Amino acid sequence: MASLKAIRRRIGSVRSTQQITRAMKLISAARLRRVQEALQSARPYHEALVRVADSLFATERAALDPAENAKQRALIVVIASDRGLCGGYNANLMRTTEEEARRAARDGMEVRFYAVGRKALDHLRRANHEVAHQRINNPRLATFGLAQDLASRILTEYRAGEVAETGLVYSQFGSALSQRPAYERLLPVAEQKADEATGGIAAPIDYLVEPSRAKLVPVVLRGYLEDSIFHALLEAEASEHGARMTAMDSATNNAADMIERLTLEMNRARQASITTELMDIVGGAEALRA
Amino acid sequence: MAATFAFKLVTPDGVLFDGQAEQVNAINPLGEFGVLADHTNYTTSLVPGLLTIRTAVGQTLEYMVTSGLVEVRDGVMTALAQNAAPPEQAEAPDETELREAEERLSQMSMYEPDYDEEQQSVMVLRVRRDVADSRRAASD
Repeated sequence: MASLKAIRRRIGSVRSTQQITRAMKLISAARLRRVQEALQSARPYHEALVRVADSLFATERAALDPAENAKQRALIVVIASDRGLCGGYNANLMRTTEEEARRAARDGMEVRFYAVGRKALDHLRRANHEVAHQRINNPRLATFGLAQDLASRILTEYRAGEVAETGLVYSQFGSALSQRPAYERLLPVAEQKADEATGGIAAPIDYLVEPSRAKLVPVVLRGYLEDSIFHALLEAEASEHGARMTAMDSATNNAADMIERLTLEMNRARQASITTELMDIVGGAEALRA
Repeated sequence: MAATFAFKLVTPDGVLFDGQAEQVNAINPLGEFGVLADHTNYTTSLVPGLLTIRTAVGQTLEYMVTSGLVEVRDGVMTALAQNAAPPEQAEAPDETELREAEERLSQMSMYEPDYDEEQQSVMVLRVRRDVADSRRAASD
């Protein structure tokens, strides 16, 4: 049995770990709440944009197709976290990334990546993938500026015919307990996006459009991309905090279990040492009397 | 009282205005335009500038918007702005910043991929300057 002192030291160290995991859990919970609010506030913008985009895109499909003679190449934007200690969050995302990369390869496409978050970059480098752009160490993931940067790079490559397809790998936020990694194709734009967002939409609305449909489509397409990416970033950030909260909660519980077990062991060790001492005293007294 | 219609000004950060309006004015690539009640279904894009709302209670609200979209559907108007703020929050840009941006833009060809973005940022800077100027003129 370990010495009393050693056990005490271990309890102390587990306790301070527990304090850290508990603090991390609380921080994640607070951040998660903030991101959930941001998700709520972004919804009206998202819904209205999808509505306008749908009715415009329906008649202007040709403007959305890849450039002529576009290279057979897919661009996958992987959104992961900068830091670990969030359970299987990043590992699950990387599995989906690899699946998508294999699918694109099967379709005869070359694949290149954009990495958002250090964990995405580390994985892609390790797997020897081509990383064309990276955004790591983002103090906050879901900023419109980051979405704009990504959207504008993607559009440039798409228009220049460097890529024929673009999509995002990110984690969809269900609840603090469930985050689902998913692949969402951005370009070419899928038809009738509104079905899922607004619960079905009838025929496209006949708008008066100024300056002209052809001039408005690129503007809307850019806005649509920025919004889709912003939305994905928000969901990813919420998922990350949710995953970390759950992971840190179980770490805190495990620490509590461990402390309990060690305390039991410590009491037993203390009892044993008291018994030994008593035996010594009794033994000594017996020896004197004899 | 003039007829009113439902108007919403939304940004990715949330809803800035949601209520009845008599008239909404904004700027699209063709120039300034206004929307009154019973407008036909309409879509256009916004260029950086002021968006003015005359509310049902006769109040006038102003927002400085960067780029965005406007939709009028079934008498309901929605303005989607990437960024909107009351002009009081607009700070005059650094003159050299504006000059440098204009300089960069003048050196670029229209066909360069970054042209649109550069043009956009120059427009935003100019609007910020104009708004700040008119505020200064009003307070003098």
